[in-house]
Amino acid sequence: MRTAALKPVIPGFGLTMGFSVLYLSLLLIIPVAGLILFTLQMSWEDFWRAVSHPQVVASYKLSFLASFIGASINAVFGTLVAWVLVRYRFPGKRIIDGLVDLPFALPTAVAGIALVTLYAGTGWVGQYFEPFGIRIAYSQIGVVIALTYIGLPFVVRTVQPVLADFEKELEEASAALGANRLTTIRRVIFPAILPALLTGYALAFARAVGEYGSVIFISGNLPYRTEITPLLIVAKAEQYDYHGAAAIGVVMLGAAFILLLLINGLQWWASRRG
Amino acid sequence: MSIHIEGVNKRFGDFVAVDNVNLDIKTGELTALLGPSGSGKTTLLRIIAGLEHPDSGVIRFNSEDITGQHVSERGVGFVFQHYALFKHMTVFENVAYGLTVKPKKLRPSKAEIAKKVNKLLELVQLDWTADRYPSQLSGGQRQRIALARALAVEPKVLLLDEPFGALDAKVRAELRRWLRRLHDEIHVTSVFVTHDQEEALEVADRIVVMNKGRIEQDGTPEQVYDNPANPFVYEFLGNVNLFHARVKASGETKFTSASDDTAQQADEQDGLAYVRAHEIEVLTSAEPDALPVTLDLITMVGPTARLEVLNQQDGKLVHIELPKEQFKALNLKSGDAAWIKPKYSQVFLGEGI
Amino acid sequence: MTTTNTLPLTSAAAVQDTPKATAEPRWVKWTLVGTALTFLTLFLILPLMVVLYGAFEAGMQVWWQAVTEPDALAAIRLTLFVLLIVVPLNAVFGVAIAWAIAKFEFRGKTILISIIDMPFAISPVVVGLIFVILLGSQGWFGPWLAEHDLRIIFAVPGIVIVILFGTLPFVARELIPLMQQQGKEEEEASLTLGASGWKTFWYVTLPNIKWGLIYGVVLCNARAMGEFGAVAIVSGRIRGETNTMPLHIEVLYNEYMFTAAFAVSSLLTGLALVTIVVKSWIEWKDERKKTSSTAR
Repeated sequence: MRTAALKPVIPGFGLTMGFSVLYLSLLLIIPVAGLILFTLQMSWEDFWRAVSHPQVVASYKLSFLASFIGASINAVFGTLVAWVLVRYRFPGKRIIDGLVDLPFALPTAVAGIALVTLYAGTGWVGQYFEPFGIRIAYSQIGVVIALTYIGLPFVVRTVQPVLADFEKELEEASAALGANRLTTIRRVIFPAILPALLTGYALAFARAVGEYGSVIFISGNLPYRTEITPLLIVAKAEQYDYHGAAAIGVVMLGAAFILLLLINGLQWWASRRG
Repeated sequence: MSIHIEGVNKRFGDFVAVDNVNLDIKTGELTALLGPSGSGKTTLLRIIAGLEHPDSGVIRFNSEDITGQHVSERGVGFVFQHYALFKHMTVFENVAYGLTVKPKKLRPSKAEIAKKVNKLLELVQLDWTADRYPSQLSGGQRQRIALARALAVEPKVLLLDEPFGALDAKVRAELRRWLRRLHDEIHVTSVFVTHDQEEALEVADRIVVMNKGRIEQDGTPEQVYDNPANPFVYEFLGNVNLFHARVKASGETKFTSASDDTAQQADEQDGLAYVRAHEIEVLTSAEPDALPVTLDLITMVGPTARLEVLNQQDGKLVHIELPKEQFKALNLKSGDAAWIKPKYSQVFLGEGI
Repeated sequence: MTTTNTLPLTSAAAVQDTPKATAEPRWVKWTLVGTALTFLTLFLILPLMVVLYGAFEAGMQVWWQAVTEPDALAAIRLTLFVLLIVVPLNAVFGVAIAWAIAKFEFRGKTILISIIDMPFAISPVVVGLIFVILLGSQGWFGPWLAEHDLRIIFAVPGIVIVILFGTLPFVARELIPLMQQQGKEEEEASLTLGASGWKTFWYVTLPNIKWGLIYGVVLCNARAMGEFGAVAIVSGRIRGETNTMPLHIEVLYNEYMFTAAFAVSSLLTGLALVTIVVKSWIEWKDERKKTSSTAR
């Protein structure tokens, strides 16, 4: 008797896996590890000074708060849009459905100049707010607007398929058991879409925290007031303060990893529930 | 082409799928691998095909060891349970595939391929579907195309994995008769996997009953049905009733009940008797060796009467089948007392399974 | 509209007024649709209109001049050149990793999938910074690169690298679920029929993943064209040399040449719209196939 230590039946594992791992290592893993190693060369004091400078702290607050507000707006309106697209028929629905992906496909710089033109004091929308003393562009509201725009597709695209697959029978059962429409939505439909909604929320938040292109035009970039963290990294890099930039970059990287873990956890939860 | 399986083992993690199996399949035979799900029959079939590698053991075609040969070089025809037809190709292209992917030197000309494919489509009686796509065919038609595709490369052996498993009952019955006739025509060594005992009994020249990765019995349909090697085979092939029995050294069998505590004689041994539902006689009056029962449930299924009766000795349920006319003649109804007598049984000594 | 006829004795009008058990009253429906459309108008449709209006406001001739002016042409050429390298590489990577993940079982698969997602979560600005630090003149490999007369940062190779990083997941993310769902039976069937691995991939796998691959490539293409934050850091913004289209737009905008900025933007917007149309078309095709096969 002999042991047959053989290749898998379907060929190509060595080739595809080898290439994929090499590619990911060279392009992704080694460079990201490089950034972390680079900051490890700094002394703790230097690192702490770089990441806790009041201007930097102000930018964290803005970036995270504006991302939080943007993602929250998307959670509400994204769910609404998903609901309307799945449940109702109305003229132009297919076009609207397609346009939801626009923030994925449209370059952020283009979005940035479009949003600032639209929401500036003289813009199509901004002009109606200006008389009331509300400035949208060049203010923190502008940052929120840009980050809402950039995260818009995430909640819609995660909730939409769950709603589409939702069994109508469950709603009918709830109605037959005497629940009114609102109770059915609250107790039957909402719990079913909750994991997807949270996943979309986290994705929108993660994307917003790191966003640069669509924000810098509309924010005005005033230190301590409308400066987002990615902008500070660019500014420091342009002044060749690589250590300062890298320190802040590592903080952002840490946030990204935590969010990625959270998203993976949420997706795992969602798939178990599905 | 004969197939020889020698000492084959296969595990998936902790699960033993195939446990030291030895089996020889003769040239031209149509063999059924029969067993419940998880019995290792599909894994064994995939090992023969080369879609799975055994952890140890040898597969030979005739006398040639092909264990290390890749599936694409083995020259087997494999028919998948869910057909695995290429969705983006027409029926014609599907059947022609095995010929068109041959290396240039061995590839037949276009005209030859077309001729061969059309002949095969005629053989499976679907020549009119050549230009259709698989999604436009019914399940039974797809399975026949899958078979034609496998036959196109003139395989040395034909392997079918639950070929009728995904079809509804009527199409199933038709297709298996058709497969039997087809095999009589082309006589290629064939192995098919099934969990349906009726299918195996009807189609195969030979049945290999598998359980938990092992072969329980290997024989002609008649042998397997009439002389099951052990309680598992008995239970797997048709409805059976269990009776406690005592067997004398002379071979004489006496049915008892579990609660029977009369002293066991020196020349007697306890055992379990297996009796099929249609091998029980129903009597309206007591007879020696007949067991008293009460009729519980009576169902008429077409020409057959199915009875559930309670053994008065131990309260156990006994299933009985007999022709409807015969039952009518007995003039019995639910709740009546009656006697039953096994016409034929097989006793396994000890406590059985 | 279908109405339930569970109450055969009520009048037709009464049946019409009673909402279906699993639907909202008409006014609720239209309020929800209206709110959703207002939201989408403010955030999607109006920005799109602004770009197109800004680009063509001054007439076709001005638009044409803006997009054919030498610096604009240089930016377009550079962007196309970068795409020519980035898209095929990431497409090959996407197919390779999807094959490995979908057709084989191995340890660490979920970790591998999460690693592919990393570029989604990392800020583009951080991506740019990473490569400046590693490959820039002050970076770790800077002296070595200078010795060999290789310029990566503030030059085209740097732009290619950061865009490769940023658009790495797109094809892979489209193909992995698609190939996992398709399983490996058709490939096994092809192998039993004597086909080699390459032939099986070419004749069986590739046609099956064709549409997913096309969409992944189109999306990768759109994102590669529009990549901004990372490129802003590594390009050095040398006009006519290392300015991609988005960077050129930024330069024009900051110089108050709004019409020109919108004109170049309109090209990228056109591409974004094509991307969306391709996606919608593929989805529509899938949907039709699904309904036609279940109807059978």
